[in-house]
Amino acid sequence: MIKLSLIGMLRRSLVHRRARSLSALIAMTVSAGVATALLTLYADLDAKLHKEFRSFGANIVITAPATAPLQTDALAKVKQAAGSDALAAEFAYAVATTDQGTPVVVGGTDFAAVKRLNSWWQVDAWPQGQDEALLGQRAAGFVTDKKLVRLTFAGHPITLQGAGHLRTGGDEDSRIYMPLATFTGWTGVAPTVIELQVPGGTATVEATISRLKQDLPEMQVQPVRQLVEGESKIVDRTHALMYGAVLLIALTVAVSVLATLSASVLERRRDFALMKALGGSQMQLMGMFLLEALVLAIAGVVVGFFAGSAAAWAISEGNFHTATLPHLSVLPLVLILNLAIAAMAALFPVRVLRGLQPAALLKGE
Amino acid sequence: MKELPNFESQTRPDCAVIALNGVTREYSGHGSIVRALGDATFSIVAGEWVAITGPSGSGKSTLVNLIGCLDRPTAGELKIDNIDVASMTATELDRFRADKIGFIFQQFHLIPYLSALENVMLAQYFHSMTDEREALASLERVGLGKRANHLPSELSGGEQQRVCIARALINNPPILLADEPTGNLDAANQTIVAELLQELHRNGHTIVMVTHDPEMAGLAQRRIALSHGKVFCHPVGGPVVTIRR
Repeated sequence: MIKLSLIGMLRRSLVHRRARSLSALIAMTVSAGVATALLTLYADLDAKLHKEFRSFGANIVITAPATAPLQTDALAKVKQAAGSDALAAEFAYAVATTDQGTPVVVGGTDFAAVKRLNSWWQVDAWPQGQDEALLGQRAAGFVTDKKLVRLTFAGHPITLQGAGHLRTGGDEDSRIYMPLATFTGWTGVAPTVIELQVPGGTATVEATISRLKQDLPEMQVQPVRQLVEGESKIVDRTHALMYGAVLLIALTVAVSVLATLSASVLERRRDFALMKALGGSQMQLMGMFLLEALVLAIAGVVVGFFAGSAAAWAISEGNFHTATLPHLSVLPLVLILNLAIAAMAALFPVRVLRGLQPAALLKGE
Repeated sequence: MKELPNFESQTRPDCAVIALNGVTREYSGHGSIVRALGDATFSIVAGEWVAITGPSGSGKSTLVNLIGCLDRPTAGELKIDNIDVASMTATELDRFRADKIGFIFQQFHLIPYLSALENVMLAQYFHSMTDEREALASLERVGLGKRANHLPSELSGGEQQRVCIARALINNPPILLADEPTGNLDAANQTIVAELLQELHRNGHTIVMVTHDPEMAGLAQRRIALSHGKVFCHPVGGPVVTIRR
């Protein structure tokens, strides 16, 4: 039993004009694919960029008042106020003398915490034991034997094994670091600084600072201004760039789809004129045409979503070294964008349909 | 040659399936008004076969447009099956056209991706609902029952025209409007189509046929010549009506 349905006719029409249909489908797929890729990346952008910025180290510095060191529970309080995903390490500093008689800043810290906090530090080998030291690149020149580091503080000597060298391009290059317990036992100096890294943008950092100031009123809490502002600017600019890219691509695709749909209507003017002559109403003809555009738009979204998600995964893997999984949440936005493009591109062809003169067209004029 | 003043003397208005009274169609554009058809007055009775002839630009297409309910007159009264179509809305006109007019085109105009049967069913689709059995019967009526599942590209010109005729007949319209029905056919197929039209006429169909072909025009009972207001040929089997522009 043969049934002639709108969907059946649409399917046959699309297959019959496969080159034109494919061209429109490719345009709609490109639109949906690019939108999916950019929106997927956009959805993960904050997290990805903040993760990148985490490698730049602390974004908040908490300093003890000049008159007293940090309280023993200060680090725990800071971690509690900053949240479970924040990274923190405390530092104690003193000025000692090397075996060459050169004054050098020595620091005591928790290497495991610093390794996570300051992943940007270039270290050839991290100290493992309590009697091992990390020598800043310049500080290494102040000692006679880099493997056996001899230091004196207030008449108290200490000998440490040089585990590795540190290079940051900053003040750290002139320092010698050792485990905090060893440092405190040797100098009797308690920690005075906590470096804290809070994931998130400016707003998160400022909110954390407010909480810290409230919870630890006796301490100075300062943002690492350049880092926080730089991060904010880069995130904002990247957002704007991605918005712009989506709009530009959408516009380009809209022009391409407009050309394809217009050609599709123009080359089928006689088919539509015939349908009108057979009693097809203006609404039916426009409905058929818009349904075709809708089907192409939706097919483009389906194919484009998978292609775009794969592209987002590849871009993310290549740039951030982490995979970005498909976000179903971007699907409605991509669908709306593609439908808007199809609707916009269908405006001109619909005008052509409205102005059809069946008698003249069917006569071949 | 004899110019007749109005249709009253030639047809019985009470039986008229098509009646034009002072029908004018003007198009405006570029600051001027072009009169494509002026003050046309004639009627065609049910079961009549009328040939409309005239050179290019004489207003034949405009007349076909109007009789085919694809357009509405600027002035005058146009009645199809006793209903004034001039006052109908576009939607009403679409419905009316599907009910009353069966189109036969010079270039057949079959949808290339639909089979012969589906092309016939297309007219059903826009009329009411599709019925494969009826569509097949319509194809058998024009001798194409065995070619029902062939695509237009697999049919000869004559066969395509017969599919077009089957499509025109499927909804049993009171009027068949044939625009140069043999214009694209070879002599053998012209004969087949001419015989088919004759058979339809014998069966009581009203046929309005636009043609340049004197032989085809000669088959009609009456000829309506469109020119610049002058009669240029004698009636064949009936009077000639001249439409003045």
